[in-house]
Amino acid sequence: MNVNSSLRATPLIALFAALLAVLGLIPKIDLPLGVPITLQTLGVMLAGCMLGPKRGLQALLLFLFAVALGLPLLSGGRGGLGVFFAPSSGYLLGWPLGALVTGWLMALLPSRSPRSTSVSAFIASAVGGLWVVHVCGVVGLVVLAKLTWEQALLGTLTFVPGDLIKCGLCAMVVHTVARGMPDWRFGGRTI
Amino acid sequence: MGSLYSEHRTWLHGVPAGLKLLVLALIGTALFFTDRVAVLLPSTLLCGLMLASLGRATLGAAKLWVSLVIACLLVLGFHALMHQPMLGIVSALRLLSTAWMGVALTLTTRYTDLLDVFERWLSPLAHLGIRVDRVALQLALMLRFIDHFFGLWQRLDDAHRVRTGRPGGLRLLAPLTIQMLRSARRVADTLELRLGQ
Repeated sequence: MNVNSSLRATPLIALFAALLAVLGLIPKIDLPLGVPITLQTLGVMLAGCMLGPKRGLQALLLFLFAVALGLPLLSGGRGGLGVFFAPSSGYLLGWPLGALVTGWLMALLPSRSPRSTSVSAFIASAVGGLWVVHVCGVVGLVVLAKLTWEQALLGTLTFVPGDLIKCGLCAMVVHTVARGMPDWRFGGRTI
Repeated sequence: MGSLYSEHRTWLHGVPAGLKLLVLALIGTALFFTDRVAVLLPSTLLCGLMLASLGRATLGAAKLWVSLVIACLLVLGFHALMHQPMLGIVSALRLLSTAWMGVALTLTTRYTDLLDVFERWLSPLAHLGIRVDRVALQLALMLRFIDHFFGLWQRLDDAHRVRTGRPGGLRLLAPLTIQMLRSARRVADTLELRLGQ
């Protein structure tokens, strides 16, 4: 049974890794005041909410592995090992952890109805996909770019409004999936 | 879905993937343990020369080049504003040298060769029950799903335009996700029939 459940999870893990790649190919959207948002962290939030902590983590690790192999899957067509040495690599490495925390919270929060599921998805995304990823990004800026904690925090705050919008988008997608696929077990719950 | 691998043959294409990866890991790690400009500057120049020696093969990574240079300029500028110019120079040199080595590896190594190297290095994990061979299957499925996503997105967008006269945009994300989840379930059923025991 364990072998088969692992086998059944394989296409789901690949699917969400593919979703991240597709979201990276959508051009960045500029909010007022020139703040750019790209959609790839929405993929992190969705992977955690839909697959749960373990499979969400695996989807993100698969995606980053593909990037490391040289596939141009990051926004702007970037890929290869060079991106893991850039100042923004803390954010990249925070994605798997973000999906893990999002999935863990999603498994704990209520999902009795599509509405409660979407509210849970918003909260889980905000903590995992936003807060955790930004903390990792700030650590990366401090370690790699040698910024101070205050400088790194100020730099990362610019992206929070866009990421909050993505949390809302994630909640909307989860709500629609909860209505369209009532048997879907959000957060990787087992019955 | 292509990779950044360049078909323009260079001297670095002939070096085994495992050796290139090992050199990158060792030198990259060593550079992070030094703050001396006297060491970092020649290292960065050597890495730059090594990358430049690849000639036309580097053209495919032009976007990555540009984004790395911009990132380093931003780091330099930021540290200069904070009256820490030396720290900015050290950070920028370290980042440039390791990133350029990474770019050179990516341009001159097929991803299938890198995958073979990783599978060999990760094979001891099989003793811990980790199915390393599944990685290749997951990668292949991921690439197939990327193509499938675009085909499905196009069909949903066409249907939306016919109904409303406008492109679907992000409104299509939810129905696209549902359809892709159903596709993944069908693939899971097939895999279980063919490979499950």
